[in-house]
Amino acid sequence: MGKRKSLIKIKPKKYKSGEIVKVSFMVMHPMETGLRKDKKTGKIVPAHYINEVKFMFDDKVFTTMKTWESLSTNPVFTINFKVPGKGELKVVYTDTQGEVNEKSKKIKPKG
Amino acid sequence: MQRRSFLRGLGLVAAASAVVTPTMLMGAEAPAGPNALSIDDAIKAITGGKSVVASPKVHMKAPEIAENGAVVPVTVTVDSPMTDADHVKAIHIFATKNSNVRCADVMLTPANGKAMFAGRVKLGESQDVMALVETSTGEFLSASQGVKVTIGGCG
Repeated sequence: MGKRKSLIKIKPKKYKSGEIVKVSFMVMHPMETGLRKDKKTGKIVPAHYINEVKFMFDDKVFTTMKTWESLSTNPVFTINFKVPGKGELKVVYTDTQGEVNEKSKKIKPKG
Repeated sequence: MQRRSFLRGLGLVAAASAVVTPTMLMGAEAPAGPNALSIDDAIKAITGGKSVVASPKVHMKAPEIAENGAVVPVTVTVDSPMTDADHVKAIHIFATKNSNVRCADVMLTPANGKAMFAGRVKLGESQDVMALVETSTGEFLSASQGVKVTIGGCG
């Protein structure tokens, strides 16, 4: 299982410190429910979904999510975030098969 | 004699299939996964028996008709000052008729600035999507919206 493709988007692109921005985190993940059958083999595809997502700013967690299989394939998580200043935004996510991945983005407020 | 026994056998088969089919159909209708949980149990586990108030403070945005149940965008916004004393602690999202009703539990802090969560859920059939909001003052607010699904997204 190589690294999964993921992306952090911040809206609006230009922001000042103290401003509230939208942070979207997208990840390519199958999110298997464990209920679906493989059409070719007829066997049930084992469950494989993200069960925890943590949003951190400078290694301080500000939002935690517990998720289940009812989320869509390639899920998107969008939350608000008040920019405190310069720093690094990091998202760490864990899935049911024990994969732990992370993605980070530098926060550079203008003014 | 041969004909008689054949007919008897036929009758037995018919009786057996009549007994088996209803149970099999029910099994196919709601495949229970390892995480299967009903909506009442899920709410009780979070609130601990406290009452839940449907509140206009909670805004839920979801399409009324979703063509594809596999990807249904859902946005929940809560009117809250998001200060240390009064903020939204958690937003829980439920799909009331999925085998596992829980979609996501989002734990927020005042650092978020605004209480909002947007995500995409899977819906197996037409149903209500519900948001349960827990505030720091110990209140439980909710909002829900019905979504019609033309193609199911589970299984």
